[in-house]
Amino acid sequence: MSTPTPEVYEQGKGMDAHNQVMREIRSEKEASYDPHQPTRVWLDEDNTPDGVKESLTIILNTGGCRWARAGGCTMCGYVAESVDGGSVSHDALLDQIDVCLSHEAENADGPAPLIKIYTSGSFLDEREVGAETRRAIAETFGDRERIVLESLPDFVDREKLTDFTDEGLQADIAIGLETATDRVRHDCVNKYFDFADFEDACSTAAEVENAGIKAYLLMKPPFLSEPEAVEDMISSIERCADVSGCHTVSMNPCNVQRYTMVDELHFRDGYRPPWLWSVAHVLEETADVDSIVVSDPVGHGSDRGAHNCKECDDLVQKAIKDFDLRQDPSVFEQVSCECEATWDAVMDLERGYNQPLTR
Amino acid sequence: MTDYFEIHARDGAARLGELRLSESVRTPGLVDDVLSDAGSLWAAERELPKGDESALTVLPHRGFPGGTDEEVQQSFAVEYPDVEFPSAAVVSSESAEFHGIPEPDDPETGADAYIVSDARSAIGHGAALVEAVVSVREAIPADTALIFSGVATPRNVALLAYAGVDAFDASRAIIKGTQGKYLTSEAEYFLEDLEELPSPLSEETDPEAFDREDCVEHNVAALEAELSIVRQRVRDGRLRDYIEGQARHDQWLTAAMRELDDQWSYLEERTPILREADLDASTSDAIRRVEIQRFADRVTSRYRNRFKNPLVLTPCSAKKPYSESQSHGQFHDAIQWRAHQVSMTSPIGVVPQELETTYPAQHYDSVVTGRWSEDEKQFVATVLERYLERNQYPRIVAHVPDEGYRDIVERVEESLDLNVTYTVAKGAHPTDEESIAALSSELSGELKYSKREREHNTVRAIADYLLGDGAGDKLFTDIQTTSRYPKIQVRDSEETQLATMVRQYGTLSFTLEGAKQWVESDAPVKRVKIDNFVPHGSVLAPGIVDADENIRVGDEVIVEGPKAFGVGRAEMFGTEMVESTRGIGAEIRHVEER
Repeated sequence: MSTPTPEVYEQGKGMDAHNQVMREIRSEKEASYDPHQPTRVWLDEDNTPDGVKESLTIILNTGGCRWARAGGCTMCGYVAESVDGGSVSHDALLDQIDVCLSHEAENADGPAPLIKIYTSGSFLDEREVGAETRRAIAETFGDRERIVLESLPDFVDREKLTDFTDEGLQADIAIGLETATDRVRHDCVNKYFDFADFEDACSTAAEVENAGIKAYLLMKPPFLSEPEAVEDMISSIERCADVSGCHTVSMNPCNVQRYTMVDELHFRDGYRPPWLWSVAHVLEETADVDSIVVSDPVGHGSDRGAHNCKECDDLVQKAIKDFDLRQDPSVFEQVSCECEATWDAVMDLERGYNQPLTR
Repeated sequence: MTDYFEIHARDGAARLGELRLSESVRTPGLVDDVLSDAGSLWAAERELPKGDESALTVLPHRGFPGGTDEEVQQSFAVEYPDVEFPSAAVVSSESAEFHGIPEPDDPETGADAYIVSDARSAIGHGAALVEAVVSVREAIPADTALIFSGVATPRNVALLAYAGVDAFDASRAIIKGTQGKYLTSEAEYFLEDLEELPSPLSEETDPEAFDREDCVEHNVAALEAELSIVRQRVRDGRLRDYIEGQARHDQWLTAAMRELDDQWSYLEERTPILREADLDASTSDAIRRVEIQRFADRVTSRYRNRFKNPLVLTPCSAKKPYSESQSHGQFHDAIQWRAHQVSMTSPIGVVPQELETTYPAQHYDSVVTGRWSEDEKQFVATVLERYLERNQYPRIVAHVPDEGYRDIVERVEESLDLNVTYTVAKGAHPTDEESIAALSSELSGELKYSKREREHNTVRAIADYLLGDGAGDKLFTDIQTTSRYPKIQVRDSEETQLATMVRQYGTLSFTLEGAKQWVESDAPVKRVKIDNFVPHGSVLAPGIVDADENIRVGDEVIVEGPKAFGVGRAEMFGTEMVESTRGIGAEIRHVEER
């Protein structure tokens, strides 16, 4: 007779399995990338603690995420977008910045006050972006108001933050926390730090003037049902907002990227990206927390991104973007669709043993 | 071990069961109201639920949806605790082995029911569905319930139950209703495309006034109604006949039915050797069903002709058994026991006269138009060829009409290099005066065999068919027969009765003395070993220690234990007897203490 305990979680074993499977999936990807070109760059506008600002977003190609090379997160396909060999030189990284500045010069009315740099890894990890490069980039953007930098919490320390704040920038570290629930982060996302590490990073940032933390959350990682995913996001947003130093939460629906475990599940009818109604519901439910809460559903309305019934996807997406800028939950009162009844039924009936109930 | 699920009747892989909760639930049926989910371990740690007898508690689980890599399943598989209350464990079609589910033949532990987390991925794919059902069914004890959540519709649920799924929920039917999809057992309609509502389930018949909430209600009612048809069909032993027609309404369902026919060992083991019900052979898929294939197989590998006379091949008749039909009466008048009569028929193949009452030879009904499909001809020709390879005759007379029959005989004649005499002229009918006269004169000079020889050969042929090649001679060495065909009684030289031919199924039922001779003979024995007790009436599964794997529902079985020796009829197949902790394993006919 086995011991009557539901606790069967074994960190090492599950992590090994996820990593091995993800390595196999990723090995199917064969393309390689030019280290002198950024992965992507675009202009947008974003809600910040100082209001809505024009933004320049840069996905820097830094050789990619070291965790992803070990296997990495179950939903993340960005590793596939990194260069062969794994590291990018100082000069090449600055070439990438130049490409982005030219893009901005050609397409924007003027320099964007907000700069966002993501690396598919950790910008503050000196094996990805050396101290010299980091300082050069801080200087390059010293004339702007605010910079957002993506990093794992382990790499957040005072000196790296002051490289930017000393330039007169507001420095926000974007941490891919994914969820405040350690169990979900470990078992569903395969990301190995704890909420406590995030809290530590927040307190480091809180002690540096003009530095802050922006938490990135993932709605509906694989293996969670729709109602579980919604519940996980509501509690995660509430917990993040309670942490001093964390002034913004960006809650983003999982989308189906190529060469990922999520893609394999989706291909076999084992995964459906979240409903846009779920996104709207979470934003509504957490509208009163003491943080900016935003969401940017990627690929909304498509089979591989957050979607409702196709009919109302654009409308609900528009309401979400509207909420991002105004933080006013009444925007959701103005959208409705017959498919809300289907979403209600999914929230009521979807379980760990029958998901997904719809496409 | 299941205390809370019991199977009352079987029809192939489908079972009529009962979830024995404080309010019992019939299966195949819906379990929405009684499933109580203790939650997913992906989302949170869970307390072991208290559970109670009003609900089937789904133990804390990690569901593996379709596409979950085997490595991940292996690492995260939950080992389910043993609990005292009604419980269901969640497995995937690939992971059953990883969950520490007890070996099926060690049924002392484990859940009452198993829910398949990746069932959805198999919906729409015949082969995948069959693989999922068969692999889980074979990994879990035979007497536990198999549950598919989130997939059942009025159109697919009969096939799912036929494949061996015991319970469902209405989630998919509800979801479809919210999407304005109106479900029936034959289609899925968009509400707005319906000019009238085809179902009498609602008082509302105007689609305009029928909204999506009504649609949800309708869909659930339609699912319930379909399940009650399924249950009735299982009770009647006629689910396959229904499936052959109903599955046509969706290609993948027909594909699944055919794929399941290819899972011979899974389906054959679960198919009874006899039924009270008639067997409708009205589609081309009837040829592939176990009952038909098994008859053809046994006639060509177990049965042996013992007559020395010529062979007369005749067409079948609509009336069963054939010998009671008008046409066969005329054939008989011409043959006069001077030849061995074998009837050719689609879809059974060939039926030697001794086996004309043996299930399903006496029970099938086919659509008679005289048009034979190539598949039918091919099947009957193959069976006839195998039959004639095994059984040699001094002469072969084919008293058959053109329509398919003659074509088949000619193919086999050529293939085996035989010399067949045809006694029905081209375009003529076998019952025409000329044909009958030709048959009679063809046999002139042949000697009649005796009633004794006829009856001895009949009971030996049935023994071959039921027990195995050569069984008739090994079992009935020195016998005499009494009473009238088809209720022949078999006695030994001392007049002690050994067995009776059962006219209804064309089988044998043994007396205690007959059972003893069976055990002592070299004929293959079907034995159920029981514990230290003397059974009367029914032998329940918990009392069964072991059972031969070749036992099928309906088989004669020896029931033997330290205290008892008896004979009876199997109500479960052998493996099921071993794996089950509830239910009737066999019905005892005669028993003695020892």
